[in-house]
Order: sequence, then C-alpha cells, then structure tokens
Amino acid sequence: MIFTMANWTKQSIRLLKHELKRGELTIVVLAIVLGVASVFSLAGFSGKIKQALLNESTSFIAADRVLQTSRKIDFQEIGTESISEPIVLSRDSITKKTQQLNINQAQQVLMSSMVFAGDIMALVEVQAVSSSYPLRGELLVSDSVNENELAAVNAPELGSVFVEEKVLSLLDVSVGDNIDIGESSFVIKAIAKQIPDASFSVFTSGAKVIINIADLDQTQLVQPGSRLTYKYLFSGDVDAIKGLTAWLEPKLNDSQRWYDIQSKQSPLANALNKAEKYLSLASLLGIILAAVAVSVASRRYAQRHQSSVGVYKAMGASLSHIRKLYYLHWSLLSAISITIGLLVGYILAQLGFYAIQDYLPVQLAVTSGNNAEISALISLGFYPLIVAVFTGLLCAFAFAITPLKELIATSPLVVIRGANQQSSNQTFKARFGQFLIPLLALLLLLFIFSSDLMLSISLLIGGIIVSALLLVFGRLLMMFSRSIGTKAGASWHLALANLQRRAQANSVQLVSFTIAIKLLLMIIVIRGALLSEWQAQLPEQAPNLFLVNIAQNQVDNVEQFIDQQGIAASDLYAVIRGRLTAINSDKIAKQVSKEEADGSDNGRQGVGRELNLTWREDLPKENSVVEGKWWENNLSDVSKPQVSIEQTLAKRLDIKLGDSLSFQLGSEVITVPVTSIREVNWQSMQPNFYMIFNPQVLADYPASYISSLYVSVDKKNKLQKFLSAYPTISVIDVDAMIEQLRKVIDQVSKAVEFILVLVVFAGCLVLVAQVQASMEEREREIAILRTIGAKGALLRNSILLEFVALGAIAGLMASVAMELTVYLLQSYLFKMQTSFHFEYWLLGIAAGASFVGVVGLLSCWRLLNMSSVTLIRRTM
Amino acid sequence: MLENKQLTLLQDINLSVVKGETIAIVGSSGSGKTTLLSILAGLDLPSNGEVYLKNKPLHQLNEEQRSQVRAEHVGFIFQQFLLISSLTALENVMLPAELANDANAKQQALDLLTQVGLSERANHFPAQLSGGEQQRVAIARAFITKPDVLFADEPTGNLDKKTSTYITDLLFDLNKQFGTTLVLVTHDLTLAQRCQRSVEMQGGRLINSQQLSDTMMEQFAVDTKITEVESV
Repeated sequence: MIFTMANWTKQSIRLLKHELKRGELTIVVLAIVLGVASVFSLAGFSGKIKQALLNESTSFIAADRVLQTSRKIDFQEIGTESISEPIVLSRDSITKKTQQLNINQAQQVLMSSMVFAGDIMALVEVQAVSSSYPLRGELLVSDSVNENELAAVNAPELGSVFVEEKVLSLLDVSVGDNIDIGESSFVIKAIAKQIPDASFSVFTSGAKVIINIADLDQTQLVQPGSRLTYKYLFSGDVDAIKGLTAWLEPKLNDSQRWYDIQSKQSPLANALNKAEKYLSLASLLGIILAAVAVSVASRRYAQRHQSSVGVYKAMGASLSHIRKLYYLHWSLLSAISITIGLLVGYILAQLGFYAIQDYLPVQLAVTSGNNAEISALISLGFYPLIVAVFTGLLCAFAFAITPLKELIATSPLVVIRGANQQSSNQTFKARFGQFLIPLLALLLLLFIFSSDLMLSISLLIGGIIVSALLLVFGRLLMMFSRSIGTKAGASWHLALANLQRRAQANSVQLVSFTIAIKLLLMIIVIRGALLSEWQAQLPEQAPNLFLVNIAQNQVDNVEQFIDQQGIAASDLYAVIRGRLTAINSDKIAKQVSKEEADGSDNGRQGVGRELNLTWREDLPKENSVVEGKWWENNLSDVSKPQVSIEQTLAKRLDIKLGDSLSFQLGSEVITVPVTSIREVNWQSMQPNFYMIFNPQVLADYPASYISSLYVSVDKKNKLQKFLSAYPTISVIDVDAMIEQLRKVIDQVSKAVEFILVLVVFAGCLVLVAQVQASMEEREREIAILRTIGAKGALLRNSILLEFVALGAIAGLMASVAMELTVYLLQSYLFKMQTSFHFEYWLLGIAAGASFVGVVGLLSCWRLLNMSSVTLIRRTM
Repeated sequence: MLENKQLTLLQDINLSVVKGETIAIVGSSGSGKTTLLSILAGLDLPSNGEVYLKNKPLHQLNEEQRSQVRAEHVGFIFQQFLLISSLTALENVMLPAELANDANAKQQALDLLTQVGLSERANHFPAQLSGGEQQRVAIARAFITKPDVLFADEPTGNLDKKTSTYITDLLFDLNKQFGTTLVLVTHDLTLAQRCQRSVEMQGGRLINSQQLSDTMMEQFAVDTKITEVESV
C-alpha cells in the first residue's frame, strides 16, 4: 500500500515538474499568483494606506476616537439605565478597560470664558488638556509671532498657557506676559500655531487659550450650570479601538457621543470614506478578475489533460489513482503558486510604499507607542496574509474543482473516440451543479471583502443577470457581424465566420473579456470622478480666511479694500442670531432634544441653541433649490416674508414646504413660511447657512457680516495692516487647516492611482489567459488551413481581425455595462453626482479591440510561423 | 443533431480469439470495427450480450473492475499514438508498469526503448519525436506489462508507407517474442495479411468469419457474443 502511494505521488510530482518546465502550467500559475499577489498587495497596501491616512487624519480630532459629553464622567457610576444589570461607565471602568487594551487616553475640557490682561478683556475658548494631549497629530507652538521654528509639545506646564496669535492682539500682550483666567493667573509660554483638533466651523469664533487640565479647578470656571464640553480622547491599534468601541457603545447615554474622524461630517472624512470604499472596491475587483483567470485557465487545463486521463484509464489506472494523482498535482501547483503570489504581492506592496512614501510621511511619535506604526508600515501584517492565502486556495480549488472533477471522470473511451465529447449531453442539473461551487465561492469572496451579506448577494445576482444578458447579446452581435462578413474581404470573411462558428466558446470568452474591460473602465471612471470631486472641493484658490464680525458701517470699507487688492472673496453675508422656537404651532424643544438623543451627526450645533440667520436677494453660489422656488421666481409672493431651509435640517426636523417657522430674534418673534428647500455644498469653504430669509424679513435687523476670502501670502501683510484699523473684525485663518486637508487628499489620490495600476495589471492578465485558453483549438485550425494552402498573410489577418472584432464587441458591451454600474455605484455607494462618460465608450472599444487583437495575434504568432508539418504533428 | 432515436452500431457478433493468436478486424469506415475493439478491450459495454476476457465477464463488471482487468491483461496501441505530451518517452513507457506497481519499471522501459531503437531519445518529449518514433514509443509502452492481449487500433494509420512497414515488423516481432495475443483493427489489407486470421465487419455485423477448431477453442483469450450495441 505504501508503495502504491509512493507511486501516484511520484507520477504526480513528475507531471508537475515537466509541465512547469515546459510552460504548460504558466497560465494557471500566473492566474493564481496574480490573484494571491493582488489580494496580498491590495489588502495589505490599501489597509496600510488606510491606516496611515487615518493616522494622519486622526490628527484632526487629535485621537482615534473621542467620547464627547456635556457632563463630566465621574468616578461614580453613571448611565445605569439597563434593567437587568447596571451598566458601568465611570472613569474607573474606562481606565481599567483602556489599560487592559493598551490604549492611550487624554482628556480635555472646553468652555468659553473671559480672559483679562490688566484692564483689557476678551472672550476666548479655553481648552484645558491633560498631559498626554494630543494623542494624534501635533500641537505646534513657537516662541514669537514671526518665529518659524515650531516645536511639537503636549499640555502646557502648570501655571502656563499657550495662546493663539489673535489672543495676543486682543489683549495687547506678548509671550512671557501674564493673563488671568477665572481666579488664576497664567504665564503665556508660547503661541499655538497649529492645534490638531481645531474646529472647521467658522462660527466657533473664539480664539483659543490652552491650559493644563490640572489648573482647571483653581480657575473656578467650572460651576454648576457652566456650559462645558468634555472630551475623552483615545488612541491605540485598530483592534484595541474596536474592542473599546464594542465595550463602550452600549453604555453610552443620550448626552454622550462616541465618534472617529470618519463620522465627522468634514470634507476630509468625506474624502477618506470615499477613498476607503474605492480601495476596497478595487481590491474586490482585482480578486474577481483573478478568479475569472483561474477558472478560465483550469478549464483549459482540464481539456488539455482529457486524453492523458483517457490513456491512464485505458491502461487500467483506477479512479482513485487518477484522483489522487491529479488532486496532488493541483495542490502542489496551488501551493507553489500561492507562495510565489505572496512573494510577488509583498514586493509589489513594498514598491508601492516606496513610491508613495513621500506622500505618506510617518508621523514622528509625539507620544510613545507610535513607533509600532512605523514598523507596521514596513510589514504587511497577518490579516492580508491570511486573506491572501485563503483567496488563493478558494481560487485554486473552488474555481477549478468542476473542471478537475470532469477531467477525472473522463471516460477511457476518449482514447478511441477523441476528447471533447462528454459535455454535450449533460443534464440541466449537472450544468447547474458546475456553476454552484464557483458561485458560492464568489459569494464568499464578496462577503469577505465587503462584510455585507445583502450587498454580496445582490452583487452576485446582478452579476449573473448581466452575464446572461451579455451572453445573449454577444451571440446576437456575432451573428450580426457574420452577415456583414460575407460581404467583406477574404480575411474579414474568415475572421467573422470563425467568430460565429465558435460562438459558444467565443461568447464565454466574450463575457470574460467584457467583464475584464468593464471592471477596468469602471475603476478608471470612478477614479476620475472622485479625483475631480476632491479637486473641486479644494480649488487652487479655496478661501483661506474668514472675516467675521464685520459691523454694518464697516461693510463698504471692507468691500472697497477687497476690490482694490483684487482679492477673491465671497459676498458679504449678514449674520443675525436667532433661535428657532416653533414649527407651525409646535414648540421646537422636544424635537430637537430627540434629535440630540440619537446623536447621529455633527451638524446640529445650530439647532437647539441660536442659529446664524442671514438674508439674501439672490441664491448663493454652491446652493441649489431642490424643492419650492427662490424668491424672484415666486412672483406673486416676492415681497412677502419667507424663508429657505437647508435640506438635511428640513429632513431632520421634518419641515415641509409651506410649514411656518417661528424665530426669536432678541425680544421679537417672527413667523414665516418655508417657500424653498436648498441643497448646500457644506464642503465649499464659503459661509453657509441653514436658514436664508428674503430681505423683507431681516434687512432691518442689526447684523454683523461675514465673508470668506482667498488671500495670497504676499497680500496677507496688507490685509493685516488694513484690519488694524478695525480691531473688532475677527480673522479666522484656515490656511493651515486647508493645507493639511490638501495634503491628505493628495495622498488619497496617490493611493487610488496606485491601486488602479494594480487592477489594470490584473485585468490585462485575465485577457491574456483568456486568449491563451483558445490556443489549442486555434492551433488545430491553423494546421488545417495551412494544409489546404491558406497563405500566411491571410491567416495572420484573419486571426488579427477575429480578435479585433471580439475585442471591439467586448469593449462596446463593457462600456454599456460600465455606464450602468457606475451610475449605480455613484448614486448608491459613493453618494456623489452621477455622470455619463461617452468618451470612455470609445476608450473601451478601442482598448478592447487593440489589446485583444494584439494579445491574440502575439499568442498565435508562434503558431503562424511554424511549418505546416510541425503544426500537424503538434496537433495530432 | 441526432434525434432521440436509437442507432444500432453492432448486431449479432459472435467472435472468439484464442491465446497467442493474431487477428485482424477489417472493414470499411463506419462498419463498426473500432466500436467492436473498444468493447473487446472493456473500454465500452454492449447493450446486450456477453464479453469474456481471460474468462472474466467484462459485461458484468463496472468501470473500476474493468480498469483492473485492463491493468492486468491488456495493452493498447492507437492510431493517434496518444502519448502523454508532458512526459518523456521513457516516462511514457514506464507508466503502465508503474500502474501495475512494478518496481523494475525504469529498467524494463529502457530495455524496451532499446529494442525499438529509441534508447537515445528516452528523455525526449513526444512533440520532439517524429510520428514513427512516437508510435515506437507507444509500442514499447504497450509491451512493458507483457499483456496477454494487445489491442491495436489502426497502428499505422497515421504513418507513411516506409515507416508503416518498419512499425509493422516491430509490432509482430515483439508480439512473437512476448507471445501476446494481438487484436488489430485496420483497413490496411497488407497489415491484415500479416495476421493469422482476419474477420470482416460490414454494417455492424461480422461477415466472413472463419470458425476455429475445437482444440483451439479451449484457450480463449477473448470470447464475445454481442447481440446488440446501441447508441443514442
């Protein structure tokens, strides 16, 4: 028995050795290598990029996760709402948990307060931070206003503060001077040039003063009823943060929010979310392409081996012998391919890191523990390794098992009757069974990479329907082209006749060409759309300054200055503070608190407290009316008081056109109907408003004005000089913030491009594998045509044209399919403006025709240049 | 496409082959001789009738059991040579011996390759060999297990006349040396004449079959009574 085993093992290894050496298995190996390599590099690389980007961008919240609350989390238990067991969320339990998970934490308390320097006072935002703040990003300070050398620091020492530049001018003090906050006095230690979690909101207007949290009690600013915001910051590795989230989330009460950078509705989070979706989509498509390649290659492999199995059986080899021989053969092949794939993937990912390392600076650790991330960037980690190996196994076996089983079941009669006779009389059940395993495997892959069962199932069903449609459509097109071919020249005639004669094989080939081209087009198109969306978000001259608090009598002078200097600026918007008190006759308070309760988003600051209201004649840029009409189009009502509301707020508060809203402005209450609902591009660096009134309502109310401008570096001095005459106007400089944002978006774009290259590579190899798959049959045909005296040129042309026609048809179908898919993806997955891309149709058809044509011709080149005798001998 | 109608390929065939005999089955194309061969060798089964090979009732055995019978008693030579393209000449010859767990497979294969004059091409792959050389490898492969019965399907069908003669000589020499029963299918009458006996097929029936003497009947190598072979 042992001897028998050695026997089939020997034969199996021998077979593998020879076949590998003679290049018979190149396509299978390449397909598996490709699959594994792309998964390993894509999963590893995109995972790493995502992580590096997150690390970079988490600096915007100075942590990986933030627990924000308006009430201090004390050492005693709070939030004990559960009936069955008390839920404990106390400082003690949090500290215990974070220690257990090896998570860093920091605290901060935010409040508005007056600060004094002698007789001068100013309203500032006091940010009391603990010594480990910031956990992500850098708090950069300098010793003097003009000092360019910045130092990364943590919390100020006890008794000292960091202040924003504006504070110095507001209080007329400089570094080293003392200021009073509450009951304590502090030394100004340095100027805060970059605060990592500085707000994007223009209306959080106060200049910042950073103190050590240990000094907070002494100031006695914290009194019952003080409006405070407590932030508990956490950072750690991904799994630890996940663990903390799972532990913490169920314990949150209504006043506590638990967010990360991606749940912030900032332009950055938006870009990151889309990039992440894009990267996972691209990885997924790479894998599907690889799976297609494996299934094509294994089918070819099985066909090629049919007569060998027949010979084995005729010579009396038992079924189990053949089964063991081929399964071992295939397993060895898979193991080798997976290993090579891992190596190639590793190299690719390293090359990728190398190429973009300048764009992905690893942050030098401010706090300890970040060193781990630097080394993590070099290694790819275990998860991608496991996923890659699993994907390789799944591809190698699930997509090849049916052809292999059929191969093993080959009847010995093929030695007499020839191969390829078996599949003709299969039952429907058998055919269905053939597809079941690969389909299940595909579903599993989809699920692994999307973690969304419904999405996976619908993608799969959608894919099946599309493939079936493509199959039918492709047949029709080939039939159609045949009838054209009869009227064309000899080469065309032969080419199109061939195309149609092999319609069954070709339509399968066509479908996979189509799918490959479609996936490539899709990735290219979506990449283009994403990049241009990001670009539009941050045009070269995106506003980098906001002027706030411009008094009515200053408006003309400011406008004049802006005009004179040729500064790009938004219009000046009046800002009047007011509170929404009722919708129709319902008091608002309840609805707002209900909204606060689910804490689902971040954009609700305006509601529940005072809103910034404005009035306008014209619809502002970056706004569009989605329901109702803007004033001037409301001819009958143009002079009547009315308001336009932003659509997400309208939806949240369930406000419809025609509802009447009551606002409290100082002591007065005004009630106006809603006549339009607007969509607002919040990501434009423009003053944006939830509520815009027509001039008749608010024009007579006292207002301050706000404007956003783009001021180049050389004009900043002039602006400063000009503004020194108007000390009450506040300047909010968002340059640093925009620069950071631009940097992150650049990195994301690079990542997207890198992955595009990998997916294109994957797609190309599928095309090559597919062309290779039809080689044997072509060989036989060329032999026959040669024998009956066809000239070289005729053969060459007919082959070229056949592939060109096939590629063009595939390209056309791919373009149509791409258009539909992109439409769906844009509207449902990426939630962005949909667009049509007829220019890519041409690209699809041209690329399909030329690529498939060239690859086809090159693959056949060897055959075309063989002598007839060699050809005939080879095909026997 | 064929309609769902049964087509009778063979009918009323009664054929016995004795040990050591060489017999040619001749007939025009489509007369059913290849079908008969595949049934005699146990590659296929008759829809009605009995087939015995070395007294084993092939018609009662399943695919696996018939495989076993072939491994023990049968060798093949095909018109298309059917060498395994990814194995060398030597490995192709060794294969049946290995399947029979013969520890000495390699040496025997080398000996046989020497006998067919290909010892120097032992490590060549089939595609590197001429048609005649490939068939010589196939012949060596067929004899390595010293089969009781050798089935040859148009063994010279793909070869030129000169090579055919050489191959035929080789086949009959080895056959004599090993004392093998040879059943060959051909439409080449010269080849058929080298056999001790020939039977002719026409329209799925045997015509002109010479009966054997009773003494010879005692040592059947193959004994067939096929009533019907049908194909859908």
